[in-house]
Formats: sequence, structure tokens, C-alpha cells
Amino acid sequence: MTKILFSDKLDNCVERWKSAGLTVIGPVQRSNISTYAAIEHAAELDFSLVLPDRSIKDLFFPQSEPMLRYTIKKESIDTDECLPPSGPRIIFGARPCDASGMAIDDPLFGWDYKDEYWFQRRNETVIVTIACTKADDFCMCTSLKMAPDSTKGSDILLRPLAGNKGWQVEELTDRGREAFKTIADILQESSDPAAPLAVVEKKFDLDACVTWLQNPENFESRFWKEISMRCIGCASCTYLCPTCHCFDIQDEGDTYTGIRRKNWDSCSFALFTMHTSGHNPRSTQSARWRQRIMHKFNYFPGKFSVNSCSGCGRCSRQCPVDMGITETLQEISKLSL
Amino acid sequence: MSIEEQYRTRAKELLSGGAVKMVIGYGKGSNAKRRRPIFISSADEVERLVLDDACITNLSGYLVSEGLLSDEKRVAVFLRPEGIRAINILAAESQLDAEQIVIFGFDVAGNEVTALKGINVEEFSDIIDSIKEGAPEAAEEELFEKIEKMSPQERFSFWQKEFAKCIKCYACRQACPMCYCRRCIVDSNQPQWVNTSSHTLGNFEWNIVRAFHLSGRCVECGNCDRACPVNIPLRLINHRMAEEVLGAFDHFAGTSKTQEPVLASFKKDDSETFIL
Ligand code: SF4
Ligand code: SF4
Ligand code: SF4
Ligand code: SF4
Repeated sequence: MTKILFSDKLDNCVERWKSAGLTVIGPVQRSNISTYAAIEHAAELDFSLVLPDRSIKDLFFPQSEPMLRYTIKKESIDTDECLPPSGPRIIFGARPCDASGMAIDDPLFGWDYKDEYWFQRRNETVIVTIACTKADDFCMCTSLKMAPDSTKGSDILLRPLAGNKGWQVEELTDRGREAFKTIADILQESSDPAAPLAVVEKKFDLDACVTWLQNPENFESRFWKEISMRCIGCASCTYLCPTCHCFDIQDEGDTYTGIRRKNWDSCSFALFTMHTSGHNPRSTQSARWRQRIMHKFNYFPGKFSVNSCSGCGRCSRQCPVDMGITETLQEISKLSL
Repeated sequence: MSIEEQYRTRAKELLSGGAVKMVIGYGKGSNAKRRRPIFISSADEVERLVLDDACITNLSGYLVSEGLLSDEKRVAVFLRPEGIRAINILAAESQLDAEQIVIFGFDVAGNEVTALKGINVEEFSDIIDSIKEGAPEAAEEELFEKIEKMSPQERFSFWQKEFAKCIKCYACRQACPMCYCRRCIVDSNQPQWVNTSSHTLGNFEWNIVRAFHLSGRCVECGNCDRACPVNIPLRLINHRMAEEVLGAFDHFAGTSKTQEPVLASFKKDDSETFIL
């Protein structure tokens, strides 16, 4: 017997959570795009998506965020700090790759100082993940040593029952247990079997790739130029990625008053490393693409002992020129044979 | 012989004889439905070239990659009519020398691919003229008609909702052959003309600046629309602006390599007393 949340009871749960003061967020299709957004009723949720186009990163690290307002006076500068809007939230129906993406970024945002924008939202959010029963050509969690039912980063893991009847509930953290206490009487004990998980083929040998990347001789390899020739240098892959976390700080306003914002930035852009002198240490797209791969699979794990990729496949799914991390690692995997 | 085979043979001849240094075409993609840009520099590799109805990306933008044409050698490229028009604009705007471009022209109707005769851009002028003639009558998509019928307020809220999705990834710009500026105005920060933030105002500014800058230059190849990861229907803006320019100035972008850019030319007898 396992604890089961039946689908027809989900709307009751949404009501309960809302009355307990939680904002309920989940996968939806709106304005011709799929994303995670706040909902009022369970019927708005779309569980048929393999994975929403946008990742849950947006809910913790939005594309543009005010940090402070300033006014420059004759003899002083007034500043007014902006903190993220607070309030408890529950994300119902994250995917394992998205949830693990947030856990991958925790050490980064808590390393030299604790990023309060990130952690306030992390601490106030319960992530309820639904294991995947279907995958598409671009899903690659298994290549990253994860699985369609990975628990990393999740507070609750739900396993879909056969026939979309509901989900088996696995409580993973205290935060998850706390949120599910409010719906304890709605859950039922049952022996309904879980539906089979998605089969996600392994696309490359991660360890072999990492070894190749760590070899300094390969830094100047011709490979980088060949693989990235068609890259047009947009930030589609960066901005859809659940783990990409680079940002820029910009002051907006006039000379005397304005607002300081934290905006997403991408290593794909030439401007990312452009010096004031005009010199650019990463002057070619191949150097920028190399940085993207090196950062995710060499520098980041070197510092935080985890790869900066959860295998969601968005970078390859959405690339306008059909590139992406997958192809590059597949090719590196071949090179290192 | 299929067009794909004909073009592979032509690519092989050109590469082995040294007539071109590179062929930019399409190759297999990461799944059966996808094609990706490929760059062939050796005659042995021409078998990688694919030509079918999935070859839709306009490849002309790669021609202005830094340094590609600076050795004055010729480069061949697979282009549909929109791509050929883009070559004319790039030549008219002094971004490339059309003599250096060898065109492998093709068009796709339904799932049928046809070859377009010619090699140099001038040879396609009849085809381009016939597209221009057909342009005002061409059937427009339903959504376009719907927006045309909206009141200005309704139209504004339609676009507000669409632009709210923008994440300023600049995939639209990077995918566009006409967006060749080495430093886009939005990347300029001394002074900062346009907000870099992706909030409502910033997204509006970006999309409006781009729409204006592409007016009379856009060839409606659809690269930007397909590249946009959040599915903003950019094609509708491009189409509206193209119609406007055609109606007001009888200007159809990319008819010849000496065509005057519509927003960068001035006539003394212009009936307007004001220029934007
Ligand atoms: S890999 Fe694709 S999505 Fe990423 S920067 Fe290059 S063109 Fe854009
Ligand atoms: S690098 Fe690509 S596959 Fe990995 S997490 Fe980012 S978007 Fe997903
Ligand atoms: S604006 Fe879009 S449709 Fe027009 S030329 Fe550029 S990429 Fe093509
Ligand atoms: S491609 Fe779409 S999301 Fe990206 S900047 Fe252009 S309009 Fe915005």
C-alpha cells in the first residue's frame, strides 16, 4: 500500500493550499507557450507536456529583477533596497530535471555570499515533482546520470498511476511533508501500480567527456571551431536552461535617479566578455561555445562537485540551428574513444 | 537526377576545381524532421548535403560572418528566393560583394523542391519580380487578418501580451541576415540608448526598434519567427511593415543589388516635409 493522490481530488488540494496562503504554480500552456505559472484551479494544469518550454528557474531567478532604487542628491545618495516579493509557494508538477537544476545551482548562489534573492525564494517554495512517463528525442537525464524519477531538488516525488488516475506520493523533505499535511485527509492508501517510467536512451559517456575536457591539450583543439561553426550566438540555450545562472547588473534611469537591476546574461554573446578597451578575450563564437561546455562540465564540477546540466535537453530542442549540448558531448564522447 | 544529386554534383565540381572555397548548405539534423546548416570545404564531403522540404532556414546570414569573404574567394550557398533577396540587400548595403556569391537556388512548395535557374544574383531578378507582383494578392494568415481588424487598443494589448513573453535572448536578431551590425544599438552602453532589462518597457523598446530597423529590409524569410524560443509571432510584424513599405513607396526589399534602401534614401522632391 502506498499513499495516493487521485487526480479528481487535485482541485481540493489546490483549494487547501490556497487557503493555507500558498501560491499554487504548475505547468500550463498560455499564449502559445508552455511554462510554469500561478493557477487558481487544477483544471488549468497541463500534465500532457513532456516538459514546459520554460524552466522553473524563472521562478527563482527571474530574467530581470530590481535590486535597489537610488536618488543622487547634492551631498548624499539615497538608496532603497528591493527584496523579492515574499510568500510561500508550491510548484505542483515540476519535472525531475527542472527540480534537480535548482539543487545544482544552490552551491553557486551560496558560495562566496548567500544570494538572498535566490535563497528567499528557495526557502519559501515547495517543489512537487512528477516523474516522467514520456520523453522526447531531446531528453537526456540518463546521460547525466539522473533518471525520469530522480528526487534531487524535489520536496515530494509523485509517480503517475496507470491511466492518469493519480499519483503515488513519496515525501522527501520536511518542507514537503509540511505542505502535504494540509491535504493529509485527501490522500488515500491504495495498491494501484505506477505507470512505467519513460525510457530515456543514454546518448553519451559523460565520464569520457569530462576526462577529455579536463585535458589541457584539448582546449585549443580544432574541434571547437568545427562543432560551433553554425552557432549564431543567441541566448536561447542559456535562457531556457534551468542551470545557467549568469547575470549582469545594470543601472536604469537618468543621472540622478534610477533603479539597479539584475538581468540575465549569456556567455554566447560577444559583449559578455568585451573589455572597455575593445579587446575581447573570447573573440570568436567557438571560444564562447567552448566556455559554455567547459563551464558546465569542467569548471563548475571542479568547484562544486556537480555538473551544471540536468539533462532537460532544452538547449538542443530549441536551438534555431539545431546545435546544443547533446551533439557536442556526443562528438566529444566519440573523440575520446 | 534529383535536385539534391544535381546540386551535390555541382558542389563537387566547384570545390574540386577551386571555383569556390566553401559550400554552405543543409545537412541531416538531430532527428528526422530537422535539417541543420553545414559548411563544406572539401569535394569529398558533398554527400553530406541534403536538399528537401525541411530545408527552410535562410542561410544568407552566414555570408557576413567576420572574415569569411575577406580573402575575395567565392562561396556557394543554398538559397530560397527570400535568401536570394537577402543577398541583394546585403550587396546594396555594402556588406558583401555579390560577385563572390555562387547561388544554389531552390524553392519549396508543399513538399516539392524545385531548382531555381541561375548562379549569380542578377539571374534571379525575374523570379523576384514575379514574387513582388504576387505579394499584394498573397493569402494572409488568419491571425494577421484578425489583428488587422482590431482597434488600436485591442492591438496594443495583443502585442503587450506577446512581448511580455520576450526574454531578450536576441535569437531573432542573431538569426536575421539583415541584423549584421557588429554592435547592435541595444548593446551600446555609452550612452545606453535602450534598456537592457527584459521587462515590459524593455521588451517593447527592443521589438519596436527591431521592427523599424527591418522595415523595407526584411525579406520575410521567417528565420526570426522560427528562432524565437517563446513563439512570439514576429512574422506578423514583418509582414505588416513589408506591406506598409510596398504600399507607401512601391518598395519590395531585395529586388536588385543596387536597390536604394528605402529608409536610408532621400529625394529632393519628396512630398513629405518631415523625415523620421
Ligand atoms: S547553440 Fe544554438 S541556442 Fe545556443 S547560442 Fe548557439 S545558436 Fe543560440
Ligand atoms: S545545458 Fe541544456 S540539457 Fe543541460 S540543463 Fe541546460 S538546457 Fe538542459
Ligand atoms: S526580420 Fe526575420 S523574416 Fe525578416 S529578414 Fe530578418 S530573419 Fe528574415
Ligand atoms: S527571439 Fe523572441 S524572446 Fe528572443 S529576443 Fe527575439 S522576440 Fe524576444
